[in-house]
Amino acid sequence: MRMAHMLFFRSVFLGMASVAATAQAEVDFAHQVVPILKKHCIECHGGDESKGGFSMNTRDLVLEADVLEIGKPHDSFFIESLITDDEDERMPPIKKSKDPLPKADVEVLSKWIEQGLKWEPGFTFAKDRYKAPLKPREVKLPAGPKDANPVDLIVAKYLADKGMKFPEPADDSTFIARVSQDLVGLPPKPEWVEAAIAGKLERRAVIEELLADQSAYAAHWMTFWNDLLRNGYDGTGFITGGRSQITEWLYGSLYHNKPYDQFVRQLVAPSAEARGFIEGIKWRGQVNASQTTQMQFSQNVSQVFLGINMKCASCHDSFTSEWKLKDAYSLAAVVSDSELELTRCDKPTGVKAAAAWIFPELGEIDASMPRDQRLKQLANLITHPENGRTQRTIVNRLWMQMMGRGIAHPVDAMDTEPWSEDLLDQLANELVASGYDIKEVLRLIATSRIYQARSEVLDEAVQPYVFRGPVRKRMTAEQFIDSVRTVTGVWPKPDKQALAQKGKKYGQINAMMKVEGLKSWGDRPVRAAFTKRDALQAAMGRPNREQVVTARPSVLTTLEAINLANGPEVAKLMEEGAKGLIDKASSQNIVEQTFLAALSRSPSQSEIRAAIALMGQQPNQNGVEDFLWSIFMLPEFLYIN
Amino acid sequence: MSDSWYNEAQPHETRRRFLQKLGQAGAATMLGAAPRAMGSSKIEHPAPTADSCILLWMAGGMAAAETFDPKAYLPYEVGTPVEKIISTFPKIDTAVDNIKISEGLENIAGVMDRASLIRSHIQQDLGSILHSRHQYHWHTGYVPPQTVAAPHIGAWISKVLGPRNDVMPAFINIGQRLEGIGESEELKAFTTGGFFGSEFGPMNLPYPEQASHAVQPPEGMSADRFAKRYNALQELLKNSPKSEQLSDYHQESMLRSLDNAHRLLGSRQREAFDLGKEKKEVFDDYNTGRFGQGCLLARRLVENGARFVEVTTEYVPFLHWDTHENGHSTYKRMKQEIDRPIARLIKDLEERGLLERTLVIVASEFSRDMMIEGVPGSTAKDQSRAKTDIIKEMKHYGLHRHFTGGSSVLMFGGGMKKGQLYGSTADERPCLANTNPVTIEDLHATIFTAMGISPKTEFSIENRPFYATRDGKGKAVMDLFA
Repeated sequence: MRMAHMLFFRSVFLGMASVAATAQAEVDFAHQVVPILKKHCIECHGGDESKGGFSMNTRDLVLEADVLEIGKPHDSFFIESLITDDEDERMPPIKKSKDPLPKADVEVLSKWIEQGLKWEPGFTFAKDRYKAPLKPREVKLPAGPKDANPVDLIVAKYLADKGMKFPEPADDSTFIARVSQDLVGLPPKPEWVEAAIAGKLERRAVIEELLADQSAYAAHWMTFWNDLLRNGYDGTGFITGGRSQITEWLYGSLYHNKPYDQFVRQLVAPSAEARGFIEGIKWRGQVNASQTTQMQFSQNVSQVFLGINMKCASCHDSFTSEWKLKDAYSLAAVVSDSELELTRCDKPTGVKAAAAWIFPELGEIDASMPRDQRLKQLANLITHPENGRTQRTIVNRLWMQMMGRGIAHPVDAMDTEPWSEDLLDQLANELVASGYDIKEVLRLIATSRIYQARSEVLDEAVQPYVFRGPVRKRMTAEQFIDSVRTVTGVWPKPDKQALAQKGKKYGQINAMMKVEGLKSWGDRPVRAAFTKRDALQAAMGRPNREQVVTARPSVLTTLEAINLANGPEVAKLMEEGAKGLIDKASSQNIVEQTFLAALSRSPSQSEIRAAIALMGQQPNQNGVEDFLWSIFMLPEFLYIN
Repeated sequence: MSDSWYNEAQPHETRRRFLQKLGQAGAATMLGAAPRAMGSSKIEHPAPTADSCILLWMAGGMAAAETFDPKAYLPYEVGTPVEKIISTFPKIDTAVDNIKISEGLENIAGVMDRASLIRSHIQQDLGSILHSRHQYHWHTGYVPPQTVAAPHIGAWISKVLGPRNDVMPAFINIGQRLEGIGESEELKAFTTGGFFGSEFGPMNLPYPEQASHAVQPPEGMSADRFAKRYNALQELLKNSPKSEQLSDYHQESMLRSLDNAHRLLGSRQREAFDLGKEKKEVFDDYNTGRFGQGCLLARRLVENGARFVEVTTEYVPFLHWDTHENGHSTYKRMKQEIDRPIARLIKDLEERGLLERTLVIVASEFSRDMMIEGVPGSTAKDQSRAKTDIIKEMKHYGLHRHFTGGSSVLMFGGGMKKGQLYGSTADERPCLANTNPVTIEDLHATIFTAMGISPKTEFSIENRPFYATRDGKGKAVMDLFA
């Protein structure tokens, strides 16, 4: 027993050795290493300079120079040259610095080498780092047929330049499932599936019909916007009145396809029903200086509309971008009723923030104006026709929703070089030309050959990214539940909270009814986007909306899988669904119908056999439940292909 | 040896001579083989002293003066001015000569010789008391709100160390309901894997007696049927004309997760979740309620390879340790609830040879006081529901205000010293920590260090580092280690 124990611990310990090497990485590249290098080395060995043929612009360059050995700082010339007493050999040279590098700095660099020379991916000291343009830019479209979709012209040229072929078109069944999920978050209508199988699908007409379905469209895009704008129906802050919903405003805006410039202006300089976004989440008690509601405003406005990460700069000047503490506070001061003091890492600096805009080339905010006026000025600057950043940020997000990955990626870092500037700019220009019509941009993407092409099989983490075509997307929790309900035809009644009476603080169903002018809800389906986040939705990645979320998890985890395998919510969905189907038909009919409804295709003979082997010829409740479960657990169902 | 290789490097050597020297034996000693401490701290690359961790959470603010840090005792008497009352229970002896604790904890007193008792744990006064907010701070090490979703300490341990046993979830959370109670959204905000994702989040088991349901087929489904259903899925996958899509890594990983789930649900380890498999006498000894059952469940899970288990007395506003009135009588009951199971858990782990490598922590978000809300001078609103100057009835007798200036933490096993008292609070009000204060950061650093995780461990999120302890600054209390 004792021996077994020792062996056990030994293997645990050995097994952990490799984990420990990375997990215990203690040197922080951005915060510790970069400042030292910047101060002492980069003047001569970075940017355009590479004295002695040594540039530290990138990790690869450092490694190529063969001045150090990873894991062995003490073997490394790099470190030795910092600590030698020989003033002729020491770095930095005596004429730059009389004293050697402080001991503490040398220790940081030694540890950095010891721990593997960790580097921020993409970080460089080079001066020609990608600088995202601010203003819109006219795109010269590649030559092509006159009626060609501009998206396809640009993509075709991109692929040709890379020596790659334009991907094959997706078959009609795959297309109809994809476009229906992407535009309205539901499986396709049966008549479309039939048409697809019969080879009679009118793709263009289907796209138009989907975009024209205001309720379904708005219900689907609520998920995306609720995540982005932190619009929760319950959650932290509500308990003490420190938070408010914008559901009615948001649903109305999507239902009526409000032009995006107007949409942004109404969020930034809001009327009462949209104020929840800029007012943020107020917790009772004291919070860190970087997390006041004013700083939340600064961070969220930057992230959501401009694809700028102001979170680093909320505490100190950012190490990885151009944004400064002052910028974060200037934006916060726009919304603040009282004077704000710049606070660096929770220590007051004594410097007062003045309301200001972060791209002064587009105009200024008059800090002496009252809050409402300042917010209006900010709203106008964000939606300024010359502010290409706002336009690019939203079209890039829409592209990701449709295609699975941003043109500039991650979508919240719009200072990242896009894989095609032309495509990003063209989409932005189309948005503006259409009068900021979001549906027009979605139409343009959905009708393109590239959107309608076969999706690519992704290898994990192939770098650098090369665009090859649409990427498979995992259904959101809401899409999964709505799709299961559509297939089984069983929908829940609105719960009391969703149907709260007038004057209550909740009531997202009431908000919809108001927007659509409905007197009663009747037996209309309640889409999952309007229900509370239950354990199943949480397990499947619906966030609690405390932070801005722009991408749901793409991978299913084991704990989620346990929930899918035995959670009461899933079991209930299957039970209700089976009840609805069982009386209707034979096992064979149930199999055929379910395949069509769930997978937009007919089953093969072998699939029918496998299903009937489970269910038996005469369907019973358990058999149908289990059959449904195995259909809904297929990756073909859970992923949008 | 000096504190760093740096001092020993020969200053006048050129690169050539330096490299030559590397081949020599002396250099080998100088350089060392293992990762080296670079600064003054001795534990920058800690070797783990524990493989598992059980956090016994006294939710709602457990008063130190009524439990593990008793002060002068005044019995109940109508007319006593409340400012005279610090403890409402007398002291009792423990297995350690110089440690006295509060009456009602006789079983824990008996295992005090296996514990390090910290009496100087302090918390930040967040200006206004919202339990869930302080609990968020305690469990994540960060004051809410945060710009990114901060992971629970169990998620950190799960992320860095992974499961001890492949089929066993690494982070299991016992006893806390997350639906249908006050502040549930606030509780959910920290009961999470945070930005690590749900793979590292907790498996929540609010009712220990029903824990086996979480790893069984759904209610009413036989094991045969469950297996048959999963088989049917495999058959459909095999026969799918779309099988080429399965090489996509998302879909591959999805199937792997489903497979993991079915492996757990069909594994021997799943019996660990079933308290019905325990001998009745053992179950009865633990069973003081859900918390006691949770301790038994924690023991079974750790025996079967769980990495991090939290067992809570459960936070429900104004219940259990959260006494805003009737403090004395409530504490009598709460001590009954925790005393036997905690002591039994320690003895059981010890008997099985697991205590040495299992760190058991008893902690709470803050302490309580009769008079002071927060700390002296705090702006926090007085939340007592039994406001009075003199004791008039039983409901006045007890500690009804939230105190952040000094609370008690017990640490058993996992490399901690045995029978040690660490830190102290003043004997007279305000009973502030007056020696060796231990912050949440430092306490976390201690737990991480015992688990073999550097408190400076960081992960990058949104292009910035996020540390296991705030800014990587937590310092382990090395005096606690054996």
